[in-house]
Amino acid sequence: MWTRSMGRSITLVVGAAVALGSGVPALAAGQRIEKHFPVNGRPVVVIQNVANGRIEVKSSKSPEVVVVAYETSSKVGFEMEQAGDRVDVTASIVDASAQPIDLETSLQLTVPEETELQLKTENGLIYVEQVMGDMTLESIAGDIHLKEVSGYIIVKTTGGSLVCTQCAGKLDFNSVGGGAQILQPALTNVNLRTTTGNILFDGDFIRTGLYSMKSGKGLVEVRFSGSDSFDLKAQTATGTVDNQAAAFLKPDSHGTVGGRLGSKFKGLFGTFGAGLAKVELSTYSGTIRILRRD
Amino acid sequence: MQCRDVEVVLEQEGLAPLPEAARAHLARCPHCQDYIADLETIVSAAHELPAEVEPPSRIWIALRAQLEREGLIKEPVTARAESASWWDGFAEFFRSRALATVTVGALLAAAAVLELHQPPEPRSVALPLPPEVVATVKQLNEQEVDVRNMRLASTSPADLVLEQNLKEIDDFIADCERHLKEAPQDEVAREYLYNAYQQKAELLAAMLDRGRSVN
Repeated sequence: MWTRSMGRSITLVVGAAVALGSGVPALAAGQRIEKHFPVNGRPVVVIQNVANGRIEVKSSKSPEVVVVAYETSSKVGFEMEQAGDRVDVTASIVDASAQPIDLETSLQLTVPEETELQLKTENGLIYVEQVMGDMTLESIAGDIHLKEVSGYIIVKTTGGSLVCTQCAGKLDFNSVGGGAQILQPALTNVNLRTTTGNILFDGDFIRTGLYSMKSGKGLVEVRFSGSDSFDLKAQTATGTVDNQAAAFLKPDSHGTVGGRLGSKFKGLFGTFGAGLAKVELSTYSGTIRILRRD
Repeated sequence: MQCRDVEVVLEQEGLAPLPEAARAHLARCPHCQDYIADLETIVSAAHELPAEVEPPSRIWIALRAQLEREGLIKEPVTARAESASWWDGFAEFFRSRALATVTVGALLAAAAVLELHQPPEPRSVALPLPPEVVATVKQLNEQEVDVRNMRLASTSPADLVLEQNLKEIDDFIADCERHLKEAPQDEVAREYLYNAYQQKAELLAAMLDRGRSVN
């Protein structure tokens, strides 16, 4: 008798321990869970969201990472783990036969202002606001919206697009079908590359900055300001260059490159102001449009 | 002679009769005596180990085949070896997504560098690409067939986007290749073409990974 009840107790304790410790989904169907992870200094937050849903990251003054997860079915499980200042959140499909609608989940994170992010999702939107720190954001079909973020920002999508508003630091964007809109930036180094998407850069070129924007088939549009200072090189294979700022662009003042490309070069060189920043625009068969905002 | 000198002599000549100077040092140095004793024990123990078993011949055949596939050795005689190249191992690389993309990237970058360093010469009507890139493209196309076969049943939104983007990349590649046949010196088109190959490799690797995790 004693042995049987003790055995049952042990079974229960072990079962509970296994359930808590082995990454069994932290959520039941249709539930909301909120977890707080106290951190010191500059945390690193890693999210692997294989499901279909939105990831939203905002900052606060509080030295903690708060994760709020929502899910609509029990076919997706969340695992959350903290190791020092690193917080890992992983959403994984529990039932391989689940339909896309069963896989809808969303994550809301509140992090310290200075936080490094590594976010990866398939379909949902990634939204990051007012976070300072290096970040790598990957998505297959989901869009990525960034607002007032700074650091070394790496964005990689297959079909998703990027909207980056008031971003600062360095930005790398690479996509097959997604476009990129860079609005009011304070970026010193920009490298945008897409095969079929469009690119819009609407903002100032910081002096000594390097800006490279390439789209295989899409539109590459740059709207610069009157106070900018940059050297411009725009080239295309079979597309067109629509220069609506020809009146403001001088012939390339540092012109050692143009002659090397020979007579088959299709595009333009120009200098605006003292030519302090370097801007390279390119498209294979799309259109390059150059505008002055003011 | 010092202890350090004795060690050097032992490294170079082993335990075989030591030179006179070493023997003289050994006679008065307990440290070196212990060191020699340890070495003798090790050598003695090694002699007691069973002789190494000769591996079966199939091991050598498999090893040779693998090394040939990886291009580490080449068979100069047979016709098969002439047509084979170290690109034959390319499909194997797709088992690792990161390695696959890095490999394609490195190969294309190397090909681009080689291409830029070659003096311009009259081109034929065939696509003006280095043979390494042509081989890579062939491997990519073969891999694409496998991936498409694997993923026929999938209907998830992410998979549909991957499929759609793969088609867009294929169309883009075809467009660039057509243009390069007409204008082989167009470096802009060439750069876009190489980037498209790289993106295709990444897409296929991603699709392969997803297919494996689902199946």
